[in-house]
Amino acid sequence: MILSSNLDLTLRPMKYPQFFQLYKNSLKNIWTTDEIDFSVDFEHLRDRLTPQEAHLIRRLVAFFATADNLVAHNLVLNFYKHVNSPEYRMFLGKQLFDEMLHVETYLLLVDSYIPDQDERQAAFDAYQNIPSIKQKADFCFKYMDSINDLDVLDTNDKKRQFIENLICFAACVEGLFFFGSFAYVYFLRNKGLLPGLATATNWVFRDETLHIEGAMAALGVMRKEYPEVFDAALEARTKEMIEEAIQVEMHFCQDALNFGVSGLSPQLMREYLEYVADQRLTQLGFSKAYLSKNPFSFMVLQDLQPLTNFFEKRVTEYQKGFENSRGSVVFNDDF
Amino acid sequence: MEVIKRDGSREDVKIEKILHAVNRACRGIEGVESLEIAKRTINGLHQGSTTQELDELSISNAVLLTADEPNYSKVAARMLAEGIRKEVGRDFAFRDYVQNAAEFGLLHESVLTLANQDLRAIEYAIHHERDDLFEYFGLKTLADRYLLRSPKTRKIIERPQWLFMRVALGLSETIQEAIDFYDMISQFFYMPATPTLFNSGTRHPQMSSCYLLTVGEDSLEGIYKSITDCAKLSKFSGGIGIDWTPVRASGSLIRGTNGLSNGIIPFLKVFDSSVHAVNQGGKRKGAAAIYLEPWHADIESFLELRNNTGSEERRTHNLNLALWIPDLFMKRVEVDGTWSLFSPTDAPELLNSFGEEFEHHYEALEKEGKYLKQVPARTLYGRMMQTLAETGNAWICFKDQANRRSAQTAKKGNVIHSSNLCTEILEVTSGRETAVCNLGSLNLVSFVTPAGTFDFKKLAVSVEKAVTFLDRVIDINFYPTSESKASNHKWRPIGLGIMGLQDTFFKLRLPFTSKKAQELSAQISETIYYHAVQTSTKLAQSKGSFPAFNDSRYAQAELQVQLAQKSQEALPELHFDWNALAHQVQSQGIRNSLMIAIAPTATIASIVGSFESIEPQISNFFKRETLSGEFLQVNKYLISDLKRLGLWTSGMRSKIISNDGSIQDIEEIPTELKELYKTVWEISQKDLIEMAAARSTFICQSQSLNLFLESPTIGKLSSMYMYAWKQGVKTTYYLRSRAKTAIKKTTVEAVAQSEAIACSLENPESCESCQ
Repeated sequence: MILSSNLDLTLRPMKYPQFFQLYKNSLKNIWTTDEIDFSVDFEHLRDRLTPQEAHLIRRLVAFFATADNLVAHNLVLNFYKHVNSPEYRMFLGKQLFDEMLHVETYLLLVDSYIPDQDERQAAFDAYQNIPSIKQKADFCFKYMDSINDLDVLDTNDKKRQFIENLICFAACVEGLFFFGSFAYVYFLRNKGLLPGLATATNWVFRDETLHIEGAMAALGVMRKEYPEVFDAALEARTKEMIEEAIQVEMHFCQDALNFGVSGLSPQLMREYLEYVADQRLTQLGFSKAYLSKNPFSFMVLQDLQPLTNFFEKRVTEYQKGFENSRGSVVFNDDF
Repeated sequence: MEVIKRDGSREDVKIEKILHAVNRACRGIEGVESLEIAKRTINGLHQGSTTQELDELSISNAVLLTADEPNYSKVAARMLAEGIRKEVGRDFAFRDYVQNAAEFGLLHESVLTLANQDLRAIEYAIHHERDDLFEYFGLKTLADRYLLRSPKTRKIIERPQWLFMRVALGLSETIQEAIDFYDMISQFFYMPATPTLFNSGTRHPQMSSCYLLTVGEDSLEGIYKSITDCAKLSKFSGGIGIDWTPVRASGSLIRGTNGLSNGIIPFLKVFDSSVHAVNQGGKRKGAAAIYLEPWHADIESFLELRNNTGSEERRTHNLNLALWIPDLFMKRVEVDGTWSLFSPTDAPELLNSFGEEFEHHYEALEKEGKYLKQVPARTLYGRMMQTLAETGNAWICFKDQANRRSAQTAKKGNVIHSSNLCTEILEVTSGRETAVCNLGSLNLVSFVTPAGTFDFKKLAVSVEKAVTFLDRVIDINFYPTSESKASNHKWRPIGLGIMGLQDTFFKLRLPFTSKKAQELSAQISETIYYHAVQTSTKLAQSKGSFPAFNDSRYAQAELQVQLAQKSQEALPELHFDWNALAHQVQSQGIRNSLMIAIAPTATIASIVGSFESIEPQISNFFKRETLSGEFLQVNKYLISDLKRLGLWTSGMRSKIISNDGSIQDIEEIPTELKELYKTVWEISQKDLIEMAAARSTFICQSQSLNLFLESPTIGKLSSMYMYAWKQGVKTTYYLRSRAKTAIKKTTVEAVAQSEAIACSLENPESCESCQ
């Protein structure tokens, strides 16, 4: 059983091959910060952003800079400890690497996007001194602290507590907070701004969606193995949690859009978050709570295959995880 | 709510006013609703938005609606054109623009003189209504980077039709000529390449697209001179292809210090940084491809230059890699033989020879044991394939075919050492000669008649004009280095290409690789080549042949068709008397040593709204990532067919997006449409290679041939490139594959995760973890 406490290290036969498959998939996306070209961004920061947009950007990087660290922290302390599947631990290992890569990316961004020393320091401490970001961090800590003392998930109550932590990080932190922030970046990208940040975000986005998929897959297994835990009470609890997350995110939105950015309004953001929240609920096997439509048509672009003119941007659609071992030189394969 | 106007005053937001502006942009365009745009615009406003933001918002809302109805792209384009007009000055005329641009010192003296001869005639010839031909993406590209701006305020001072006229005037001797040329480009029959659009008629008319160099001398001076030359060439918008084979390999002796060389990699690192530092006039990034022959002993490190792992000292993230492969290597691969790696210092004979002569030298050097190392040929070939799969780079180009089939290499010692940045140019280089090429492309879809036929006569007329103006570039061009000027005057090569082949097939309803499409493709290329040679011969009668004519294959009455016949390959059906033409060229001369090169046309195809070059469509629904932002691209031909069948709904759209732009697995769509609207991932690359090979009988330089494999393996790749070699393709370009784990779709419905994972033990074939 996936939440039992007797440490399982046996990989053959595989009990959860789907997790191994996720791990393999995640290996196909490997990138490094060296591949991102921020040179155009610096020009834009210097002379194309409006003060409102610049404020928005500073809030975004400040949020990102701490959020991934937090996710990683929870990963190690909780996910890794309680999900008893060696296949899943492989996936988590890669996820941890991804998170570190994201942390590095945002470190680079804060270092280079915020020229003022004091302001930069404030951004690094955002989870303590920027109220709208602190609120997000507090939301996470609430669900992290609540299971600090859990060692063995031997009762349904303890299992439920752990599952709530999992839902919090998958559906609310990665699934909502991050998705909200991605939308701002893509909005700017849609206006032709900050291509370096957009590239970084594309890659982070790609990783995050896979992380969510992984967590949801784990939750799917838990639902199968412990159906009694996934009762109406959990569904109600989840919906409360998601509504709280939306409110926290809206608080951030009010702050980030403080001075008004044409084309983005708090109402539209709320609708968008509701739309995303419904998707998370569906993934969790619960009913939708909001029935909102996606108001951001520019997000459609994120679903499409990109085509890059290499004169303009580095092409990134190659298979980094291509394995040498796959096949040898022959002359009669179909192509 | 209030908005702030351009003059700083405030005004209440009036819905009628927004609606009125949008209405005007929608007039006469089918299937679009102005209210839909206006509503969204109002929703996006906040207290204190500026009217300019309001206009931009309307445009971006129209653009986003193209996901439902492609015609919104035209609406957005009109609004953008109106915005440009406002920025330039609503009542400005061409004469004001000329005066304005002249005051800023942007225009070339000769253009001012010519324009001032008859401003009225020019004014009369300009058709601003042709702005309606633009799709949004095309006009946006033009507005962001092509239209001239004030050096002080950075505001646009040039309207799109003025740009076309400026380009035409820059290449013309009379007003009438300029108007003729303007008509051809402003109606999108033909489009000069980007550097010509950027620079024609301006103070620095650097209009060439590509430069080809070889590191002339294996010494510090020689290496750094090449790096400096590349920086100069790149500054004025040229792309670089440079052969590094002459530089000694790692481990060979440095006489001056009695030390051992570290080979080419450390210098390539320097070159990489230099390329990155040079920004092409703020308009696009510098770019270069480095070529190496696979007998060079640094070949293995060369193939790792773009890897993500390993020492950064030995990585070059900005350079494109290309391989210049002799036949002998492919033969050794085929028989599973051994391959010897040399330092050029030990094997100078290999540098300036090709074909049998090269093979003779190579085998002799091998016997003398002059190599630094030997490897199994297949192992090295496998490494090349791996680099292609991982990075799309290490483009495979075939040195011997490139040289054998060139008009420039008749005389011993004249050798083509590399192709260019996009692998469509093949010209002789040496330490003294930097090859240059100016390009332009015919927009094939503009020759499809409303009756559904292809107008070869109109094509012939456009070829004649295009060749005349491309030839003109050679004399007017600004040359950043003396080596490039020397070479271009000696050989006078030009590169006429094509774009919109896919549109042409869509319009004529021919599936890309159908027999009819194959035949039409070859006939189009044959017609273009024939009329290009004829025009160039005509030009020679009044202006003389290119100076190196006697060293060329034309002196022996050999055109591409004759060269192809020599190697006894199956030729496509011929429609012209090629022997008569070859003899005419032999006796009357020819103005240009080379005429045809099929470039990728990435940017100019966007400007005219056609599919790129000779390529099949990538997807029915995709986004383009450019410096101006991300743009949705939909296959308007498909959508119009689906509408006709009543199948175009938001559900259908989601299905196409979920299928990554493919329609093959969508049940409701009829088979005929599935055949027609295949994406490049669904087309056999074998067919694509055969089409390219047939076309190459009529291409005196080469073609940028991208190849596409959804999930490449060493086996597939090695088979594919071996086949390309056997088919006699001269060059290939990117290997394109698709990112493995694409971003999860966020705008199509989610499913419960326990249903989504349909693994695995029951169906072991589909799951590699179980095996």
